[in-house]
Amino acid sequence: MAAAERTRDRRERDTLSVEWVKLELLRTAYATRGGLLASRDPRFVLGWYLVFAVVPWLTHDLTVLTGLFLVCAAAVVLSRVGPLILGLFVFGFVLESGYLLIASWFFGGDLGTVLALAELTLKLATVSLASMAAFVSLDPEKLSDALLALHAPAMVAFGVSYGYRMLPVLMEEFHTVVDGYRLRAAPPPPPGFLGWRAVVRVGTTVVAAFYPLMLNTAKRTRTTVEALETKGFTYAAEHPAGRRIRLAHLRADRWDVLLIAVTVLLVAACFALGRAHPLPVQPG
Amino acid sequence: MAASPQPADVREPSRTPALNSGQKLMIFVLSMTLFGLANIITEVLPEVRLGPVELSVSYLAFVPVVMASLFHPLYAALGAPLGEIVFVDLLMGDFSGIGELEGYLQMFLGVYIAGCLVRDPRRRGQLFLAGVTVVFVDKLLSAVVDIGKVMVGVEDAEFVPGLPESVLLLEAVGLTTALLISGVLFGALPAMALAPRLYGKIEPLLGLAPRDPARPHALAERGTGAFLLLALVLTFVSMIAAFTSEIFDNFGVWQPDFIDLYGQRFLWIGVSAAVIVLAALVMAVRFVVHSRRERAAQGAGGADGTGEER
Repeated sequence: MAAAERTRDRRERDTLSVEWVKLELLRTAYATRGGLLASRDPRFVLGWYLVFAVVPWLTHDLTVLTGLFLVCAAAVVLSRVGPLILGLFVFGFVLESGYLLIASWFFGGDLGTVLALAELTLKLATVSLASMAAFVSLDPEKLSDALLALHAPAMVAFGVSYGYRMLPVLMEEFHTVVDGYRLRAAPPPPPGFLGWRAVVRVGTTVVAAFYPLMLNTAKRTRTTVEALETKGFTYAAEHPAGRRIRLAHLRADRWDVLLIAVTVLLVAACFALGRAHPLPVQPG
Repeated sequence: MAASPQPADVREPSRTPALNSGQKLMIFVLSMTLFGLANIITEVLPEVRLGPVELSVSYLAFVPVVMASLFHPLYAALGAPLGEIVFVDLLMGDFSGIGELEGYLQMFLGVYIAGCLVRDPRRRGQLFLAGVTVVFVDKLLSAVVDIGKVMVGVEDAEFVPGLPESVLLLEAVGLTTALLISGVLFGALPAMALAPRLYGKIEPLLGLAPRDPARPHALAERGTGAFLLLALVLTFVSMIAAFTSEIFDNFGVWQPDFIDLYGQRFLWIGVSAAVIVLAALVMAVRFVVHSRRERAAQGAGGADGTGEER
């Protein structure tokens, strides 16, 4: 009986191991994405996002805001955003507005407060949905090229490329260090009240693992940077010719123009609808 | 890395020699990589919610604190928030567009100020102060931005009963818990343990001399001026956005008797004042960039002879 319990215990620990978490994270980072905006020119996707990031702040009309929200929700569906990210988003928003609502009732709010909160939530939700639709489907390297095309510092593009390639190596190394630390440490003590000893143990292990990690990463960083500088990295990043070569593959076609045109039309339609059926939020 | 001292070093022996571009890049990349990795680990750590009070580690603040106290604070501070954006937000598909920019500025300012507070990475008191400062500056600024969003997003928010108090309460609670957990437990205390042990060991790996309290870094470097200007510009942009919403509304719901003439004129005065200040700022930035370019050209001319080993 005790032996059977121990094996079950072992199995559970195996499924919820660091290895599993690592694989799950890598799957999130490198899984192929697709959908409406993924194949578009990244500069136009950025423009599309900017429209929805700015426009909701220009109005106080609930009809317009609902329209914009619906457009963004449709875009999210078309961009095939995964259920996990979407679920987290909905959960977070419901919880956040719930707490605000309770707190404002506590301070003596009324229906006006609820409407004002609905307005704010709609605005924030629209912006979040737009960023989800635009950036979840977009390949990070394409996004960094778009930022480079908009004259963002070259360091941003470099950071994205570097991170994209180094992430698996770094996580592997962190895992190795933590495993080594656990092998050398004493067996875990009983968890204590609310498992506080386990919490302290995880915390100290994470912190202690950073000591060798910082030294190793410093060595690796020096190798990388010296190799880059030998090839003239800083010079190429600052020189306009290097930038031109890097961005030469960006091509906009008529579908990109159509995307922006349809977006502008939809936003205009929302505002027209708002003028036909105004539903302004009156301060209570 | 036994370097021939630059002419500037001879004239000004109280300063550490300036970093060359490769060393700046090393500090930047190291800070970015480590903080990015730390943020991925933070994503995995569980969080506890007691009602609106969230007991979670927002980030492992000790990593940027150690980086900024051991190396030049400016490059460490420039790298750390980018690591968060690249590793967590971009790769994990959680990028939030303009929101990332405000997050970057908050974190940059927090780490930079914290790094400037530390003069000697072996002194634990300074490290404690730095660890708390990172989280305090970052979270305070984000609270201000959140409150600003409510003020801009809701018309006459200060007259909606109960709204300002509740927003303030939630932000204060969030700031306190973040200060305690991320600032002290995962910021100041680990930094106090790690930074003195790494001092003198990690710098040679990057080909740098350890930070010498007798010869502080030239902290007020070009970055700060440009950053302050940028912050001012952003403030004015948000102000203009706020004004625009008022005007836009008046266009959307067009009722001639609705327009208070005095109010309209007042708005336009505000907008034009903001635009004028914005234009002045742009000209100031242009001038700064121009003079910096000239200085860089002179510096390149002078440094060619001595070689940039250090």
